[in-house]
Amino acid sequence: MSQAASHPDRGPAIPPGSPTAARRAKTGLGDLALGIMARFGAASIIFMLTALLFVLFTAALPSVRQFGANFFISTQWRVNTLEKPAIGPDGRVLKEDGETVMTTIPPAFGALPTIYGTAVTSFIALVVAVPLSFGAAIFIVRVAPRWKIAGPISFLIELLAAIPSIAYGLWGLYVLAPFLRDWVAPTLQKVLGDIPAFRWMFFETITIAGRLQERPIAFTGRDMLCGGLILAIMILPIITAVARDVLRAVPRAQIEGSLALGATWWQSCWGMLRYARAGLFGAVVLGLARAAGETMAITMVIGNNNQIAASPFAPAQTMASLLASEFREAAGLHRAALLEVALVLLIMSLIFNVVARWLFVGGQSRSAAAH
Amino acid sequence: MRSQGVGQLGRWYSRIMFGVCVGFAALIIALLSLVIWYLLAIGAQSVDLAFFTQDQSGDPTAPGGMRHAIVGTLVLVGLASAVGVPMGMLAGIHMAEYSQETWLAKPARFIADVLAGVPSIVIGILGYELIVVPMGNFSGWAGAAALAFIMIPIVARTTEEMLLLVPNSYRAGSFALGATKAQTILRVVLPAASGSVVTGIMLALARVAGETAPLLFTALGSRFLTLDPNQPFPSLTVQIYTYATGPYEAERRLAWAGILVLISILFALNLTIRVVAARSARHLKSN
Repeated sequence: MSQAASHPDRGPAIPPGSPTAARRAKTGLGDLALGIMARFGAASIIFMLTALLFVLFTAALPSVRQFGANFFISTQWRVNTLEKPAIGPDGRVLKEDGETVMTTIPPAFGALPTIYGTAVTSFIALVVAVPLSFGAAIFIVRVAPRWKIAGPISFLIELLAAIPSIAYGLWGLYVLAPFLRDWVAPTLQKVLGDIPAFRWMFFETITIAGRLQERPIAFTGRDMLCGGLILAIMILPIITAVARDVLRAVPRAQIEGSLALGATWWQSCWGMLRYARAGLFGAVVLGLARAAGETMAITMVIGNNNQIAASPFAPAQTMASLLASEFREAAGLHRAALLEVALVLLIMSLIFNVVARWLFVGGQSRSAAAH
Repeated sequence: MRSQGVGQLGRWYSRIMFGVCVGFAALIIALLSLVIWYLLAIGAQSVDLAFFTQDQSGDPTAPGGMRHAIVGTLVLVGLASAVGVPMGMLAGIHMAEYSQETWLAKPARFIADVLAGVPSIVIGILGYELIVVPMGNFSGWAGAAALAFIMIPIVARTTEEMLLLVPNSYRAGSFALGATKAQTILRVVLPAASGSVVTGIMLALARVAGETAPLLFTALGSRFLTLDPNQPFPSLTVQIYTYATGPYEAERRLAWAGILVLISILFALNLTIRVVAARSARHLKSN
């Protein structure tokens, strides 16, 4: 044993799972039991995903049937039945025996505002996080080893990933949101508010009594900007870590060759970035998947308002935050609609993760071929 | 990339970009310090002995402590690992030792990776539909099941990776001595990788201990200290969420204290993981 251990050969003499290895081993009852149990364990993972898709789809079926493709286009999210005065053909409120005739409007569920909220906050998060992460990854790969701080820096950034979502939410709600409300938004308004091109950031158009009116947005700090920034901080570690690994996998010859040809430090870095672009894109997609699925922190800072507003200072709702804030009280069609949102969220995250994986694998085989 | 010589401008540009990279790394570290400093500083003002020894009092102006929530989280994570760790390890053993590229292992590996990225709120909703609805009430079982669901793919993938790091000479030696495959795996391969496998398990523990979203619709949360998983179950994270979004100042202070305790536990776990991982790597080398 110890003799073998002193030479940890990684040679592929007998791959652990190969039929040769299995045939050489004796078999017994214990063997059979462990084999079956291990197979059961692996099968359970496949079963888990199947259950996830099947259960969500069946439970969302009433909503899928009722709304169809409209679910993704409609901006209406009305949980309760609404009573409204009926309007006659002449445009006036209908009256019968002095009583206003009421029409009932059934509940309606459209996911567009939450899809919009998810898209905008994720976009803000990526715009902030991607340059920072790539810069930090280059620093860790190209600069930090020289200063002997690559390990500690990596560790600190990974520590960011260990902070739970709820902690970021608390920080966002009581530190970042007040800061944005009291400092950033008013300052921006002072600088940009008078420029017509930026008017959309500080004013919203609403319908009051059938007329369009413009009014200034009240800064609460709990808005899409705050949500996006919190998401940015939360996806920094994953993008940095993946980008770092991808950049480390770039062959040394690639870097040294370009330096030998007289490239500047940045030109050789740029060469690395170009070389590793598939993997880096994978890192971005992975960050996007995290941002789109993030729940607790965003629920606490997004403002929870089902609306589509242009301004980053307007409160909104993401798919995940909608689920977190409404699912517990939901019943009937409302619950089915929420389950459809959950299904969309699930499928979206599956697609993002598959694409990201595919990009890594593609990038790896590319660099392997280049060796 | 341009291969001919670069002018003064290119060299300055390179220097600027060098500064930008250093600056970005420094900015991330600064952000991290800022977040952690706030969490620790405000938490430290609010945490006291009562936090650990009292349950929720029901009076929002003097809300007592969070003993019930701490115990709740420990129980939930314990229950979840009782299922999640063995299941995940078995799956990992299958993928590493039995059939690396078969019809079962390949999709299982792929799905485990993909499942690790599924938003945890979706898993909470699955727990609600599969367990809470049939049972008729929110329960600790449902919460633990949701956490186990999150643990299994993580444990499976780390177990697999760690087992594959064990040199094949170990297996060959064991087979040569007449051991069966099960004996080889359980007595030789797994112990050799135990340090790293423990690391993976602790990583999964740290991940689920900080989860809030999957517990919202499964364990729900509770004001009382309970050990009965048939009832709605308290947890540190959900309690923090309730307090943090509530209107009472005293409860918010408790939320900050709760975050301090939670983060201390998670950081301690992470540091231990580092130490264990480093030691087991040294162990494999020096042996």
